Amino acid sequence: MVHKQVKRQADRSPRLEVDIGTVRLRNPVMTASGTFAYGVEFAHLMDLDAIGGIVVKGISMKPIKGNPPPRIWETSSGMLNAIGWQNIGAVEFVTAKLPALRKYRTNIVVNIVGFDLDDYLEVARFLNDCPGIAALELNISCPNVKKGGFHFNKDPRDAHAVTAQTKKVCTRLPLWVKLSPNVTDICEFARACEEAGADALSVVNTFVGMAIDVEKRRPRLKYVTGGLSGPAIKPVALRMVWQACRAVKIPVIGVGGIATTEDALEFLIAGARAIQVGTANFYNPAASQQIAAGLAEYCSSKAIGDINEIIGSLRT
Amino acid sequence: MLDRKIRVREIRDLGGGNHLLTMSSPEQARLVQPGQFMMLKCSAGLNDNPLLRRPFSVFDVDRTPGAKRARGLVLLVKEVGAGSRMLAALKPGQEVCVLGPQGRPFAVATATQGRVSTACLVAGGVGIAALYLLAQRLLEHGVAPVLFYGGRTAADLVLREYFQRLGLETHYTTEDASLGEAGLVTYPLERFLRSRIRSGVRVYACGPWAMMKAAHDLAVKYKVPCEVSLEARMGCSLGACMGCVIRAFDDGGEEQYMRVCLEGPIMDSRKVDWDTPPI
Repeated sequence: MVHKQVKRQADRSPRLEVDIGTVRLRNPVMTASGTFAYGVEFAHLMDLDAIGGIVVKGISMKPIKGNPPPRIWETSSGMLNAIGWQNIGAVEFVTAKLPALRKYRTNIVVNIVGFDLDDYLEVARFLNDCPGIAALELNISCPNVKKGGFHFNKDPRDAHAVTAQTKKVCTRLPLWVKLSPNVTDICEFARACEEAGADALSVVNTFVGMAIDVEKRRPRLKYVTGGLSGPAIKPVALRMVWQACRAVKIPVIGVGGIATTEDALEFLIAGARAIQVGTANFYNPAASQQIAAGLAEYCSSKAIGDINEIIGSLRT
Repeated sequence: MLDRKIRVREIRDLGGGNHLLTMSSPEQARLVQPGQFMMLKCSAGLNDNPLLRRPFSVFDVDRTPGAKRARGLVLLVKEVGAGSRMLAALKPGQEVCVLGPQGRPFAVATATQGRVSTACLVAGGVGIAALYLLAQRLLEHGVAPVLFYGGRTAADLVLREYFQRLGLETHYTTEDASLGEAGLVTYPLERFLRSRIRSGVRVYACGPWAMMKAAHDLAVKYKVPCEVSLEARMGCSLGACMGCVIRAFDDGGEEQYMRVCLEGPIMDSRKVDWDTPPI
């Protein structure tokens, strides 16, 4: 009798849905901004509907050309990037990219970038009125532009201000804020953005790093410094996610070096409601889909009926 | 474009750190166009270092003897770093994760619509790898390719026997005069362009930046179209990371950063900003 009951439980597929505020994700797996283009570029390599959401490349109101090359440099278990927010601009995104992306059922989150507060407000206002978008992700943490972005991460009060102002114009859409790890205390910034009305936090963006060509005695990146991503940053990103989750009540989305199902589980157990896969997409385009399937298998094998049971279940 | 785990059929040491790698992949072989590339994972584990895949031009399609069915890909691998050294050490039967074929191919269609009669293939060193499939395709359509192949020394001019077997007119140059004419490959190219009636001539170039720039300058001087095969360090190869860009002019003449993986690797040489090399 007992055996039959156990078997019946295992047959039922685990519930993988998670709620980031009012946004319901089919499963906790998303792709990170800047690593998945506008989504459709990957459509022939994986099933976009197999993951909970896609965060598209950072969009500004006007197109941005980006930094001169070299823009990337591989490091041990990671890479440096200094792309500089190259994007096609909000109008082109909405007319040329969004319609194709909307054919899929996966949630579309748009990362927004700007050089000053007015830039953020302008693009937020514009996208707020566009159907098909599930949320905006405020990028105030990109280390690769001379002003804007980085500057909002020097002082939690600036992060608070830009979040609060942008939240005001987001009358329709939830506002997630992507935090920079290049701070002394991630909790200060997490609390500031929560106070300012953020609906969720994406923790974290890339770490500032550099590399040098010892023959030419020049930096490997034209911009000199760049953002470090990939498995190398995972332990630090994970620590920051764990800390942020204890500091705020709003959902935290974990991002930083996630390449496998096990990586994703670490972040969920630490308290992240969802995760984003970034650099792994470059060498394994179907990574996010594989991780989503891996989470389902993990739950099935442990007779966990609902993924939400493990979120924040770290025993300390 | 497909992402597949495929097997090494054969690996041949060509000397000088060059290896010809033949892999079984009928699906990908059937899709490949001249000038396209494949992204290879160099380490055995997908999440092992080096993380990023490396791009390699498809040198040739491997066909079954007799029936000539496309059964795989042939790539030229030159040992330049940790990743390529791992590939050079592969043994037949081993598996490799390969993504592709990718990228904008050479415009063979225009060449074969009767508007081109002569194709100047200009290669510098391992740039030769991008031009063999092109040479075969041009011949199939009645266009006569002429090969201009240069390097620092004779050992750099690998795989030239493949082009010789096609019966092409060939011009070799080496900087140290160990093979062919002493000097740069653009010397015989300029003589050729000067001496021929230029309507119907098209230049296809692949090699170091300075070589392709020189070929482009000649193409402009003698008013012939020119396509180049660009190279860049790549992140994703899918157009997602925006890492592999070069400065180029769009259709409106405005300067933009264009991706070598998607808007290239083959580009109209007149689009490229030759004064701003990517490295």
